[in-house]
Amino acid sequence: MIYLDNAATTLVKPSRVISAVQRAMQTMASPGRGAHRPAMLAAETLYDCRAEAAELFRVPEPEQVVFTMNATHALNLAIHSLAKPGMPVVTSGFEHNSVIRPLRSLGAELRVAGRRLFDPTDTLERFERLLPGAGLAVCTHVSNAFGYILPIDEISALCRSRGVPLIVDASQSAGTLPVDFGALGAAFIAMPGHKGLYGPQGTGLLLCAEPGRPLLQGGSGADSRLPLMPEHLPDRLEAGTHNVCGIAGLLEGLRYVREKRPSAILAHERGLLALAVQRLETLGLRVYAGEAQSGVLSFESPGTDCEELAGALAEEGLCLRAGLHCAPLAHESAGTLERGTLRMSFSAFTAPEEVRAACGRIEETLSRLGNRGRSREKE
Amino acid sequence: MTQYLILCRSLSTAQRAARTLERAGTTAVVVKAPAGLTTSGCGYAVSLRKDLESALSLLERNRIPYGKVFMKPQGGEYREVER
Repeated sequence: MIYLDNAATTLVKPSRVISAVQRAMQTMASPGRGAHRPAMLAAETLYDCRAEAAELFRVPEPEQVVFTMNATHALNLAIHSLAKPGMPVVTSGFEHNSVIRPLRSLGAELRVAGRRLFDPTDTLERFERLLPGAGLAVCTHVSNAFGYILPIDEISALCRSRGVPLIVDASQSAGTLPVDFGALGAAFIAMPGHKGLYGPQGTGLLLCAEPGRPLLQGGSGADSRLPLMPEHLPDRLEAGTHNVCGIAGLLEGLRYVREKRPSAILAHERGLLALAVQRLETLGLRVYAGEAQSGVLSFESPGTDCEELAGALAEEGLCLRAGLHCAPLAHESAGTLERGTLRMSFSAFTAPEEVRAACGRIEETLSRLGNRGRSREKE
Repeated sequence: MTQYLILCRSLSTAQRAARTLERAGTTAVVVKAPAGLTTSGCGYAVSLRKDLESALSLLERNRIPYGKVFMKPQGGEYREVER
């Protein structure tokens, strides 16, 4: 099997992540639920994870790192904290549904800034034009469908100069691109644990400049006599029992990323991207590539249904993602909303030989599908 | 030996306080605060055996918030340390 769906979930994890999950399951209870050894061991692990994330993303205090179920949960927390019905909210033209749906559900007025793929200048100009009068900006750092790296430093500077709070979706950038909470000055930065941070599924982080508004109310392990959730972070946004095993794995994933260095992981993935672009273009496929691109690549075979092709490739042991990638706005911006694309995405564990072999399987499968199509025409 | 308890607003803050003190060479342990010492129910504290004043100064220098401070002589009862 060749797994190239790392933008959804990195399947291959550092072995220490797997060991940590197992160790947590065998030795840890719930943090904040007792002073006994298993509870305190869990508490230490959670704090270590907050501290590790705070170091990696330059968050002033570990308490500003909130654990969530995933990036969608983190984005919902952030958006529900800041957006209001009727509030003008600026987003890029490449947002995931985890941004667009909560905003629409709240009745915010969406202003979409920049729909040109791999064109940071256009994105920035559109943000500048639409920010005046906005109450909030929400922007992805990297398009999950196309790998387009948006000019987030410049967008955050614009937001700061206009006094507009910014929420950053770092789902595809955390672990590969610099995400500097202090320098960005964002109100919130959301990210999953199970993609570029190599943690288990069911983990996510929300980096917070302010306490925010809880989505869930319940036990926090402290201040039990208060009628409402505590005012302070992280307790305010973390009701209920934590995913201790997942967080133990995420801690090791974060340590792996810090040791490996995000810039080195990005360079590795970009090398694979260049190789894939070159190979796929020789097959006559439409490849969406640009300068400002991370290790995520969309492509399509004109005349072939992307889901049908992905299904045939899955039968050949090649794991890609087809369709709209939960980002119809991004596909609308790129002009691929009606047909979707196939997406290939890499990780620190992807080898060049896998990319070459994947392109070979795509060529063979297209040839087979084409032959089958011609046979049907004859019938 | 006298025990000192520095109440903290959350488990995470107590952990940050304890680690800051440990890094400075002061033995500090995160404990659950005795029920009678908290007003909002279920709280956490940092327990020390000595150097209270220098510990509190260190927390203040590092902008780590803390609440009431208690001391308990060996065999005695907790009483609040006036500051």
